Amino acid sequence: MKNAVAAVFCLVWLFPVYWMVNTALKPRPEVMTPTPHFWPHEPTLNNFTAAVTQPQFLTDLRNSVVVVAATVLASIVLGIFAAAALSRFRFRGRRAIMVVILAVQMLPATAMLIPLFTMFNSLDLLGTYLALILAYVATVLPFSIWVMRGFFVAIPAEVEEAAQIDGAGTWRILVSVLFPLVAPGVIATGIFAFIAAWNDYLIAYTFMQDESRYTLPVWLASFTNPHTGTDFGAQMAASVLFSVPVIVFFLLIQRNLVAGMSAGAVKG
Amino acid sequence: MTARLDRRDLAPLWLLSPAGLVLAVVTLAPIGFLVFTSFTSYNQRTLFTGVYTFVGADQYAKLLASPAFWASLVRTVLFTAAMVAGSVLIGMGVSHLLTRLGRAWRHTVTVVLIVAWAMPNVASSLVWNWLFQPGYGVANWMLAQLRIFGDTTSLNWAQDPALAYVSIWLLIVWQAVPFIALTLYAAETQVPHEYKEAARLDGASEFAVYRIVVLNFLRPTLLLVTILSVIWDYNVFNQIWLISRGGPGDATSTLGVYTYKTAFVGFQIGHGAAISVVTTVLLLALTAVYIRNLLRAGEDL
Repeated sequence: MKNAVAAVFCLVWLFPVYWMVNTALKPRPEVMTPTPHFWPHEPTLNNFTAAVTQPQFLTDLRNSVVVVAATVLASIVLGIFAAAALSRFRFRGRRAIMVVILAVQMLPATAMLIPLFTMFNSLDLLGTYLALILAYVATVLPFSIWVMRGFFVAIPAEVEEAAQIDGAGTWRILVSVLFPLVAPGVIATGIFAFIAAWNDYLIAYTFMQDESRYTLPVWLASFTNPHTGTDFGAQMAASVLFSVPVIVFFLLIQRNLVAGMSAGAVKG
Repeated sequence: MTARLDRRDLAPLWLLSPAGLVLAVVTLAPIGFLVFTSFTSYNQRTLFTGVYTFVGADQYAKLLASPAFWASLVRTVLFTAAMVAGSVLIGMGVSHLLTRLGRAWRHTVTVVLIVAWAMPNVASSLVWNWLFQPGYGVANWMLAQLRIFGDTTSLNWAQDPALAYVSIWLLIVWQAVPFIALTLYAAETQVPHEYKEAARLDGASEFAVYRIVVLNFLRPTLLLVTILSVIWDYNVFNQIWLISRGGPGDATSTLGVYTYKTAFVGFQIGHGAAISVVTTVLLLALTAVYIRNLLRAGEDL
């Protein structure tokens, strides 16, 4: 009985993902049929070819890669030092900083979007990588600090004391003792940062305003064309390509997922 | 910890300042600027000329007098409640199911949950548009097979207020359940067996065991996931925008969509800023509750 419930649940929950893959593998005439084909009768990779040979695909992929890589790197480098400060030291105002970091995560998207848009507009930065990277750092850095801090907290104080007895100073302890120990945390945080920046649609859609500056999520949504009709086969193939890296990463960081979510790293 | 460190040690200051400076520029300054903008006439013209006038609290007065704003607020509250109720209840069910499954099935369900959770919401929204597409969408075909609603083949979900809500609700719940189920499951495995056994020996039914013993242990976790869900669902934007653009008309314009349309479609940026400030203040109360609960749950800040 409970296994039957589990089986039904899996079928229902997996169905949208299955339907995306199924559609992506169908030849054009099979995509839209009066009775839907529940598996591709003549599977083909044509939709994938159609998706990646779209004129904007490579440009927009490059935009995504540049912006996401810069965001991940900046957030980790800035975040690791801040996380160390907030976990291995006690000082005035520490709790207040933590509360602000957590609260910033919960802001509605438009609360950041409007002022960043007007600020970048007056600085003539709209449409540039820099604008997008700064906006992503604003979303990603707070939770990066939060998640990495959790890893620092888990290191016992004895480790530091031992290093100190060996004569290591504060910086030395940080760089050669603590940082290597939080390496798994850095990887987890990097993955969270990647997912958040890679998935963003709203900021890129609002700031980039020109096809050649779009990132992949905006490119993906631009397949939808109410006038000429949407090429669902190619759109679903593109969706598969776009989602696969994220799904793989999610499965890799399974164990850290719940902790990352509560810090606002990955939203529902 | 690290009590050994000198109180006058400036290390934390140096460590914090790079991130602190960046966050001050990209988050704190914008929040200040948002509040400032909400007191001005900032509009499309300002984007080119940089000229705006200070209008005091006019934007807020206009907002409070606007039926569209109140309608949007009510919509947001009701829709958030529906999404949270749906995802928390289903999440509780799935979590409980996980505790009763054997290894193989538990693993399968977990992987399915993670895959659904991992789908980028832009991709899942587009998949939804395709599932519910009028004419060839598989959802309409399945409904037609039930023969309850007649011929549903050309049902246009995005163009009907109630149906647009239903499809967006399904999407949000579909993606929210995994986090809730897995978080609750982690908590549910911590419930001591002795308590459940004791209740069973007293003749309690399985349902009573769940209601009396398990739920009691789950309460703090349940509260946290509920608050988080409320915050996230209140802020939902992409899915609504990509499925219905807030339409038909304004039928699915929740506060996020309403703000976006005001600020970036009509380019009444000053007014959009005012809506955004109000939206944020309403949310802030909830965020405060969340943080307080996190502290109480033993999270050491």
